[in-house]
Amino acid sequence: MSPAATTNLGYTPPDGGWGWAVVFGAFISIGFSYAFPKSLTIYFKEIQMYFSVSYSEIAWVSSIMLAAMYAGGPVSSILVNRYGCRTVVIIGGLMVGASMVAASFGTTIIHLYLLVGVIGGFGLSFNLQPSLTIIGKYFQVKRPIANGLAMAGSPVFLSTLAPLNQFLFDNFGWRGAFMILGAIVMNCCVAGALMRPVNMKTVQKHPVTASKGTTAKKAGSTENNANPEAGDLLTETEQKIGGCADKLMDLSLFKHRGFIIYLIGNVVMFFGFFAPVVFLPSYAKGIGIDNYQAAFLLSIFAFVDMFARPGTGLIANTKWIRPRIQYFFSFSVAYNGVCHLLCPFLAVYLGYAGLVVYAVFFGVAFGMVCALLFEVLMDLVGAQRFSSAVGLVTILECGPVLLGPPISVFTSQEERVGWGRHGNATLRLYLLSSRPCTNTTVRHSEDGWNIYHGFSEFLCHVVILPTHREAVATGMSRSVYPSCIQGFDHNTIYDGILLPVV
Amino acid sequence: MSKWNCFYKRIKHEKQTLNITLSMVKLLHLGWCICTPSHYKDIGDSLVEKVEILKPIDLELACTWTGNPNKLPNITGYWRKDGSEITNSRLTVQLENEQYNLKRVFRITGDTLGNYSCIFSDTDEAKIDFNKKDKPIVAYVGDSVAMACKTKLPPNTWLWYRANGTEQELINATTDPLRYKISVDGNTTKLTVMNLTAEDSGVYVCSAIYNIKASVSRVEVRVITFMEPLKPFIAIVAEVIILVLLILLYERWSSQRSSHSPTGNNIHTALTREGNNGMDENTTTRQRKI
Repeated sequence: MSPAATTNLGYTPPDGGWGWAVVFGAFISIGFSYAFPKSLTIYFKEIQMYFSVSYSEIAWVSSIMLAAMYAGGPVSSILVNRYGCRTVVIIGGLMVGASMVAASFGTTIIHLYLLVGVIGGFGLSFNLQPSLTIIGKYFQVKRPIANGLAMAGSPVFLSTLAPLNQFLFDNFGWRGAFMILGAIVMNCCVAGALMRPVNMKTVQKHPVTASKGTTAKKAGSTENNANPEAGDLLTETEQKIGGCADKLMDLSLFKHRGFIIYLIGNVVMFFGFFAPVVFLPSYAKGIGIDNYQAAFLLSIFAFVDMFARPGTGLIANTKWIRPRIQYFFSFSVAYNGVCHLLCPFLAVYLGYAGLVVYAVFFGVAFGMVCALLFEVLMDLVGAQRFSSAVGLVTILECGPVLLGPPISVFTSQEERVGWGRHGNATLRLYLLSSRPCTNTTVRHSEDGWNIYHGFSEFLCHVVILPTHREAVATGMSRSVYPSCIQGFDHNTIYDGILLPVV
Repeated sequence: MSKWNCFYKRIKHEKQTLNITLSMVKLLHLGWCICTPSHYKDIGDSLVEKVEILKPIDLELACTWTGNPNKLPNITGYWRKDGSEITNSRLTVQLENEQYNLKRVFRITGDTLGNYSCIFSDTDEAKIDFNKKDKPIVAYVGDSVAMACKTKLPPNTWLWYRANGTEQELINATTDPLRYKISVDGNTTKLTVMNLTAEDSGVYVCSAIYNIKASVSRVEVRVITFMEPLKPFIAIVAEVIILVLLILLYERWSSQRSSHSPTGNNIHTALTREGNNGMDENTTTRQRKI
């Protein structure tokens, strides 16, 4: 694909050795970042009763936390560019820990919004972003595997945090649990300690070949890389590349065509990406499956996801796929869409077994997309600018991630089907496939992809929805679901967990 | 865990028979059928099926109850419509194949739509009302705790008791407004106990008074001090600090070891905790080739 973007690091990344410890650190950080907001929902019923507020007011805590986590992306990028990954992760871990401990003493819901939501969310963003960046610093050849392994943190931590939270809640109530969770989250500082900046002395100098074409914003740097053939004499700016410190914020990314397309595609995709995760249990219950089995579907999904991510990393690293990793990513998004399109068929004709099959395939699809999500971005913009890129991407994804499921609920209640969101997935592919290709001979295959995607979308909206409207609408629309099972409040364990986060 | 199934069969009034089982309802329906086990289990699960009737029909409702631990050979079963018992519907139900079956044909017309429930009991039944809490609620000294009870139909009154062994002592919110607060909202009630002390641990009972009988549900409250979560908290923080120090020490040790190697220039010294800010830039600028 675009090899040039990836080699202007100025050095050859170690691709192993301490890098695996860094991957483990990133695994922990990413795991906490994604799983933590979701797992807090277990406490909501109790807190809701304690503060005498409505459920939507309490759900704001998670939403604010998520929003802060995504909005903190650019701030995080700037700090990483200035101070390096390790510092930012440690600060992030301390922030979340301190905010949770403070929240355990909170007396109003506003305290929770501010402490858990805003400060906690920013702390998590300071964890997420540097973890992704440092993988790009340490790995080049084995980067997809490293990414896949690190992203596997999310399902692993979610499956551990959920029962752990339940245990803490049963034994200590919500206040004590928050305090102990604050301590647990401080393990992110351990992850940060692992993120040693790359030792540039021991890696070989690599002449800068590609021009970044951007001006350095750091005070004191004089030369930019407009003259790469000047060769071995690396400048001050380039010397800083070894750590995570780069320019403060690289807004020239907006001129990068691949980046813009990736961004637009992501924004569109995220509207629909998480809807199935959020609605799967309700759908299952709507067609008559009982609570525990519906919740079990999610366990299956998370379990498969756990293995799909490193597996995808391994596959993406092979010499056939690595050069074409963008297409592999497009394929996985399309596969996602197709999976969801088939779900109503499976559910109606095969019942619970069909849904189990769907959960397995969906787990694979979800894992594939998540594992490749940042790898593809790294591939597009290069490890140099990745830190700024991921900051910009997260803040722009904030909107669809938060709005997606409510919009799906809204549209499904109007009898338009929420599964149609997967048309968005295929739409995304449509955009991705017109990405810049250094290799012009693949242009004809782009047309092929476009046709395929357009067709999938057509299929979705025109064929499937009308015929399965009822089954799907019954499933999707919560108002139809007979909710007379009193005492089974723990269905919310899974309903609540499924907030729209990767 | 008791299980029950409801089977519906439309009778040939319309020249077609539809078997709809509980697990796969494919059409949208109107009206309700409730199957409730009675006070054999003090906590039960109810399943409600909506059944839509398009024209006046004769509808046969059947309830099956399995898993009764007492396994009495005969129990009484009867039907209720909209919460009140249908006259002359009481039947003795035999235990057959480990289950009790109760069936009745109802003529459903526009006037007779409503909620139909089948009840199995051996004595006067009580309506189940619960906010299922097998596990105690944990609360802290000096803090407050709130517990709620909920039923399907609003009772005449709600009463809260504090249970001490076998006796129950009524909680009166008016005499003690600083400690107790009771709020009632239709079919839900909430008791808030403030300024908790260790003696407030115990079982609290909410009682819904109906015309027939009162039905109760219990909730256990456990009051602990802040010391309890503090111990695991300190343990975990200590573990974090130890690990971080170990990692940084290892780093310093391994970089010192390689600084004794012939490559000369001082590299990348180990990052100490204080020196984190800006340390990256320092070490990278220091190690230039040549």
